[in-house]
Amino acid sequence: MTAPDDHIAQRARELYDRAAQRTDPAIGARLHTARLHALAAAHDGERRHAGARWLLPSGACAVIVLAAVTLWQPLQQSRRPVPANTAQGSEIDNELPPDAVQNDPQMYQNLDFYGWLASNGHTVDGR
Amino acid sequence: MEPEHGPDDDADGNAVNMAVGALVTPRLGVVGERASAVSLNAFLAQVEHRAFRMAELQLHQREDALDAVQDAMLRLAQHYRDKPPEEWAPLFWGILRRRIVDLQRRRKVRSIVVGWLGGGQDDDGDELPVWEPADHAPGPPDRLGDAQAYAAMASAVRKLPQRQREAFMFRILEGLDVAETAQAMRCSEGSVKTHLSRAMQHLRDQLEDWR
Repeated sequence: MTAPDDHIAQRARELYDRAAQRTDPAIGARLHTARLHALAAAHDGERRHAGARWLLPSGACAVIVLAAVTLWQPLQQSRRPVPANTAQGSEIDNELPPDAVQNDPQMYQNLDFYGWLASNGHTVDGR
Repeated sequence: MEPEHGPDDDADGNAVNMAVGALVTPRLGVVGERASAVSLNAFLAQVEHRAFRMAELQLHQREDALDAVQDAMLRLAQHYRDKPPEEWAPLFWGILRRRIVDLQRRRKVRSIVVGWLGGGQDDDGDELPVWEPADHAPGPPDRLGDAQAYAAMASAVRKLPQRQREAFMFRILEGLDVAETAQAMRCSEGSVKTHLSRAMQHLRDQLEDWR
């Protein structure tokens, strides 16, 4: 840059700086208000943004919980105890001795008699 | 469209930028203040008056200039407040530049519409000047001791082509470095040097009285 360019640049900047320093007070007040408005808007946006940041994970968690509950219920239904009449039928077919608590305890007091009856029942019937 | 810069332009541009670098040195205080503005509020407080003057120089209208600055502050605060403070300056000036260009385009469209409606010519068939909203408020030159010098400078700067004007304002008036200016203007550093070199050439011709 030549000397005249230096001079032009220097002078232009001085004028510009002075003009910026001597802004009309009314304009200054409006600029101040605009700045506060911009900062307040940014602060509001930040809060909204923070809320939105939690919205997605919360929604995802809710969906996962809902899906888990939906899947859990059929699983529980399949594991429910079988109805009583079905249980009795299976007990009839079962070779194991009946549960002492659920049946008549007197039967176990006369086990010898019932053993004898089982072995000699055919003989008695044949007679 | 960006100019194609040949070796001559580059050499000239480099010479201009080296000299501008030397000229910017006295303004290191301003640069230091800018770097120390760690809060967005402090940064905006530092640049708001200068931004208004820059917008006013280009738009030649106070209300539009205020709108442009207000919008630039709002956008910087909303979208770039989390950026490092040293990046705020080129971002802010870039936003302001785009806003000014938008307003200039709108004005041009308004002028065309006014022309279609018969407002483009007077009764004698002569072209009327491009329509601009009235601005009756006193301008900065009225309050400056060297009003004529400022008016001459403003007039010369307004006559520059858009990109040359932006390069001059960001580099010379605002003191941004080449990289920051390129970021604000969204062009290469080479283009900034070329635009500035041509701007200085035009201003030399137009501001002969300043020599």
